[in-house]
Amino acid sequence: MKSIGRIWNSLANPDRIPRLYALVLGIVLIAGFLIPIGLNDHQLYPRPEPQLQINAQDPLAPYDRGGVTFEQRGIVKAQYPQYLPAIGEITAYLSPIAMGVSGTTLYYGTSIYSSPGGLIDEILYYTRGFDTVLESSILMMAFVIASFIALNFTMRRDD
Amino acid sequence: MVVSILGSQIIGIIPLGDIVFYMTSFNLFMFAAALAFTFIIAISKTETQVEAEFGSLGDREIKVAKKEFKFRRFLAIICGLATAGAMVTGDIFDFTLFVCLIGIVNIGIVGAVKQIDVLDSAFQYGLIAMIASTPLFVGASLILAATGTISILAINSLTYTTPMMLFGSILLFLGVAGETGVAPFFATKAEMFRTPGSPFLLIIHLSSLLVIVRVIEILLIINKPF
Amino acid sequence: MILVPDVVSPVVVAIYSPAVFVGIIVALIGLFGISIEKNDLQVLILTDIVGVAMLIIVAAVGTDLAESLVLPGLVVELAEILAICEILMSREMRKTGKSVALIPTPLNFDMEVLQTAPVFIAVILVIYGAFLSGFTGGAIAGGGILFYVMSLTVRGVPSDLWEGIAGASGIAWCLWITGFLVLFVFPSYWLLGLMLAAFGVFIKVAFKAGLIGVMNREEFRKE
Repeated sequence: MKSIGRIWNSLANPDRIPRLYALVLGIVLIAGFLIPIGLNDHQLYPRPEPQLQINAQDPLAPYDRGGVTFEQRGIVKAQYPQYLPAIGEITAYLSPIAMGVSGTTLYYGTSIYSSPGGLIDEILYYTRGFDTVLESSILMMAFVIASFIALNFTMRRDD
Repeated sequence: MVVSILGSQIIGIIPLGDIVFYMTSFNLFMFAAALAFTFIIAISKTETQVEAEFGSLGDREIKVAKKEFKFRRFLAIICGLATAGAMVTGDIFDFTLFVCLIGIVNIGIVGAVKQIDVLDSAFQYGLIAMIASTPLFVGASLILAATGTISILAINSLTYTTPMMLFGSILLFLGVAGETGVAPFFATKAEMFRTPGSPFLLIIHLSSLLVIVRVIEILLIINKPF
Repeated sequence: MILVPDVVSPVVVAIYSPAVFVGIIVALIGLFGISIEKNDLQVLILTDIVGVAMLIIVAAVGTDLAESLVLPGLVVELAEILAICEILMSREMRKTGKSVALIPTPLNFDMEVLQTAPVFIAVILVIYGAFLSGFTGGAIAGGGILFYVMSLTVRGVPSDLWEGIAGASGIAWCLWITGFLVLFVFPSYWLLGLMLAAFGVFIKVAFKAGLIGVMNREEFRKE
């Protein structure tokens, strides 16, 4: 009985908790080697086979999902297309500069496609826009905390 | 379209594109509780701790400075809103982001104190929160890989459960346990309360309580043990 | 050529489980390091390895969705390390009782480029960042602002400057939220929403990097 009490007491020391957590997580992750792991091939937002668009000399490879700016929508396989009235518009959008540059080089897509616009912006700003709101809030909170501590304690700018 | 989830009727949904917030009477109650508590915290003043001095009859008051008070109140309100959001979200990845936001705001509420012990446990809690973001996102991505979707409403209508989904949900639970600091990882959190600043510190408790209840609901939806 | 196939290509399915195994091994290396390491700073650096494992496993899914999920994961890791570093510094300074410089040895760079080029380089980077917009553009333009602020010779005004830049960054964040709302409330004005979101994020990220420049300036110019 005495040893159980000692274990509980050692858990009360904050310095040991990250080590304990790392240990528990490591043991659970080892179970991942024993479990059959496979990818279900019916996924949302599927993308073409790797290198397919690049080999086809598409200037927007690997992010070409079809569509013509303001005329025809691109193809986006979202979870709830019924809640997304403007789906595919942002994917098809190319800014005027982007159109000019993509006409001159075959490797335009490997830079950043056509931001603003393009596939990544469609997912980040529109179909899964709330994720980005939260993500930028997390970054903002971290910055608020870090700069508050820095300005008031570690750097003492006001003194 | 599904109309019931875990036996309770879906009252309404708020679609934000692929991320759909849904309301049942169960999580609507938790949502309202989180918002009400956040409101009480937003209008309340902080406590003052009184310490007895050795060798004399005097007392010493530990007060929170105005600037620090405002900073903590801001973070406590954000923490309450994030908790309320985590209650109604219908997307596993969105839920993990809400939990991460709660974790980082919790560190911030106690990060601006002067006691070394409290800072030390805030640092240790921060380390756990950082490690815990791995099982959170890995769990969500394993569920995505196994089912092809991360919408809770879509997973609810699936008929199968694979070992990989179970593994993913264990990791998800472990991640939430780390971010919110439940037993046996509570020591860092318990130490963090030894600082003046209630009631803002209480939102840390409330958020971990509500998030744990919610993650158990999500795990039941994913694994369908009944 | 099929632009978007119905199912994930067999190549990606075939390499999924090896990729997850690699991710688990990386995570185990990091976790093993954390459980035996005594130094707090080393532990903080080791947690980053665990974060890399998370990115590997998320990216292994190999769809466009996975690609966009990698970004929040990366940002969460960065944000947490930023806040926790500052708490560690605050704790160490209280423990030892003396204030420590951000850069331990004095760095006095007497370089030609710091006197003649800052404005030019900063303007070029900001313009290029504005062309890219979004997160990447913000990072590039922020690099320009950071370089400009760090090379300034004026010292001692940061409190006001800080609050000014931070305020502008907050307004940009609101711009981005407005853009997000426009996309959902008035879907027919999607182009307006897209532009608000892209440039809101651009200004926000750029000014964040600029703030880091303000923070570091005095240390950088120290004799």
